[in-house]
Amino acid sequence: MATRKIKTVYDVVCPFCGTLCDDLEVDVEIATDKVVEVRNACQIGTAKYYSSNPSPHRYEKPMIRKDGKLTEASWDEAIEKAADILTAAKRPLLYGFSSTECEAQGKGVELAEILGSILDNTASVCHGPTLLAEQDVGVPTSTLGEYKNRADLVIFWGSNPVHAHPRHLGRYSEFIRGYFRKDGRNDRYVVVVDPRNTHTAQIADMWINVNPNEDYELMNAIRAVLRGIDLDDENVAGVPKDKIYELVDLVKKCNYGVIFFGMGLTQTLSHHRNIDTAVCMTRELNDHTKFLITPMRGHYNVSGANTVFTWNTGYAYSIDFSRGYPRYNPGEFSSVPLLMNDEVDASLIVASDPASNFPQDSVRNMFKHPLIAIEPHETPTSAFADVVLPAAIAGIECDGTAYRMDHVPLRLRKVKDAPGECLTDKEILERLIKKVKEKLGEK
Amino acid sequence: MSLNNLTLLTGRTINQGIALEGGKTTKENVRAAAICTFDKSDFKELDCMVGTPVKVTTDYGEVVVYSTITEEGPHPGIIFIPMGPWANQVVNPDTQATGTPTYKGMKAKVEVMKGGKVLDALQLIGQLKEG
Amino acid sequence: MAEIKLTLKKKPEFPLEADSITPDNFSGKSIDDIKALEVYIGNQTAKLEDYFEVKGDTGEADDLKIKIDGDLSNVKRIGQEMTTGEIEIDGDVGMHLGNQMKGGKITVNGNADDWAGAMLEGGEIIIKGDTGHYTGAAYRGFWKGMQDGVIRVEGKIGNEAMLWARNSKGANKWPTLYCGEAGSFLGIHNHGGTIVVEGNVDRCCGADQAWGTIVVKGSISTKLPSYKKVGEVNGVELPNGDKIKGKFVEYSGDHSVRKETKGRLFIAA
Repeated sequence: MATRKIKTVYDVVCPFCGTLCDDLEVDVEIATDKVVEVRNACQIGTAKYYSSNPSPHRYEKPMIRKDGKLTEASWDEAIEKAADILTAAKRPLLYGFSSTECEAQGKGVELAEILGSILDNTASVCHGPTLLAEQDVGVPTSTLGEYKNRADLVIFWGSNPVHAHPRHLGRYSEFIRGYFRKDGRNDRYVVVVDPRNTHTAQIADMWINVNPNEDYELMNAIRAVLRGIDLDDENVAGVPKDKIYELVDLVKKCNYGVIFFGMGLTQTLSHHRNIDTAVCMTRELNDHTKFLITPMRGHYNVSGANTVFTWNTGYAYSIDFSRGYPRYNPGEFSSVPLLMNDEVDASLIVASDPASNFPQDSVRNMFKHPLIAIEPHETPTSAFADVVLPAAIAGIECDGTAYRMDHVPLRLRKVKDAPGECLTDKEILERLIKKVKEKLGEK
Repeated sequence: MSLNNLTLLTGRTINQGIALEGGKTTKENVRAAAICTFDKSDFKELDCMVGTPVKVTTDYGEVVVYSTITEEGPHPGIIFIPMGPWANQVVNPDTQATGTPTYKGMKAKVEVMKGGKVLDALQLIGQLKEG
Repeated sequence: MAEIKLTLKKKPEFPLEADSITPDNFSGKSIDDIKALEVYIGNQTAKLEDYFEVKGDTGEADDLKIKIDGDLSNVKRIGQEMTTGEIEIDGDVGMHLGNQMKGGKITVNGNADDWAGAMLEGGEIIIKGDTGHYTGAAYRGFWKGMQDGVIRVEGKIGNEAMLWARNSKGANKWPTLYCGEAGSFLGIHNHGGTIVVEGNVDRCCGADQAWGTIVVKGSISTKLPSYKKVGEVNGVELPNGDKIKGKFVEYSGDHSVRKETKGRLFIAA
């Protein structure tokens, strides 16, 4: 009897973007425990599975900085060192969590509470403004399956899914055939609002070329027109008046519309006010037809981080435990402003790379103080960390739960074992919690 | 040879996504994210070959990246750097008390730097580490 | 009037949360009791005397003035929820100055950081310099922000001042803000607040205003498209009785909230 050389894992959930595709098939060579083929995933998802194979930039053992160089250490040494750093700090920051599974995120909350630290996830540099606006004005939203089956008008506002969520268009929003949209793409009208003629715009039916940073004014004009007001201005945010009337006509006539929005709204000047007015616009459109709105979340489990933090503390991100109970105020307790003020005296980064993704001055301040990274790969953050704790990649080397961008929880699968001495994020955090408790008990 | 009054946008590209999953410290990441894309008409005024290093300067910093012509145009007056360490040297860290930096829509100027050196991710971020 | 003087010994390395500094908390306590009041720094608890020299005479809250000296730009929450008495600060002060204050008076001879006078319910805050963002604003998720009282800022205020401000005709409450200049989103989601700006205002002034009055004696960088011109007026009477002289162009809005609206924006003609 021939022995099987390859095992195939079916219905794998992809741990890359918030679309959380759940139809991947991954082939693993049994002898070497290597991923040899990935089917159905986008290019980025495929790259993520291949990146789990042993490579020069994969950590397999804990590392501690000694005499300025990262050197291999035992787990006990590394956890001891990390716990020393965290317990000595007066204003520690726990950041990241969006690229790991929910159980590990829960442990993060526990550690933050014990330490009296700041707890933040990557929403604070991406869809945080969305959460802020949702608290102010609510959000009429739905799951992606509804859009797939019903939506006949799809608006991408400040979002470029061809690049950022490659399979979103094919699975939920543009090309897919749905129960009431039997002809797929031909049954949908697609509008893209963006300062650039993005690849998403190039395959859309209408591109609205808005000036950078002026989305608020454009939505404000649309809302006024929806209320039956004549615009005085000939041109709003670079868009001619006639085009605005044309768009308003279009959105009023559709049967079921949806707005997907991305960083183009949250990272420009008006931040959460863009989302605020987009939600109000959606609400007003429901006087005319059915209309909903959904943020295009980036990291595959950033929705999960927000959800886990919320059910534990009441708040989704930017949480401060310094007074023993959770307090919340983005802008005051968010990672970037804290680092810009040089308020943080030690950081623990879990499954994230702030050195690449934060503005330079905040990174400079982060590097001034001790830094611990829980990370599977070498990144600009871990390369300059004082302690590196090697992690198994959630969704590839350990299972767990993740939340899709529409808050649908899906179970991640384990397709192979982690190399070397890697532990899961959850196990690492559990060991850290135990050690920190011991040290605080001694004090 | 230089352009003023541009607006800098940053954001995801699929190549940047593949490169960061493939290894953030690799050459692929430099090729994918250490680039600045120009509108065709703007690039003509720069008067250089595609791939020539350019220095992008904003009120918040400067960075040297490779120049290229955009596939997602026309967008005269707008330049685009994929998100990543290079873009973050020149973005606006001010959050207006919302916690989220302003990664898009900075005023920028660009100079051609023939023979300029584009650093890789570790060299670039290493400059921020003191001592 | 009894006066207590606090002098900052050293600038704290992390933001110091000093919500214990209010006339209400100091009322009827001896100087030693006051010295032992708690302040919070990072994840540690400290005593007021660790960071401040405390001198002076104690008294009852409504007859008590607290004078504070030093660079307080890293000291947060001074005057939180105070109901009476007076605080005078010589120098810059940190976030959340006089938040949820119900009465009394705070004077700052310097600048204040974000959230000064947030959710003010009464009393008066006078700031001689500039303030940060969210001056007199509602905290995250609240639909009732500043409900009464007056904030006077001589310099420039940041973004989103008077967010969700709400008046009450029945209770005769008219939250009012006077300032020199203002950033963007001034009076956003305004529900009856009154704002008077001596100088210029940045973009999106009066966004989502349901009702209320905004008077700009300078100019605004761009008027929102949802505001419609009503006409020209000579002088404006504010709901609290104040009269503003001068020629103004009257706009109604924000029409993105309602087709017929009592919201008004006056811009100098």
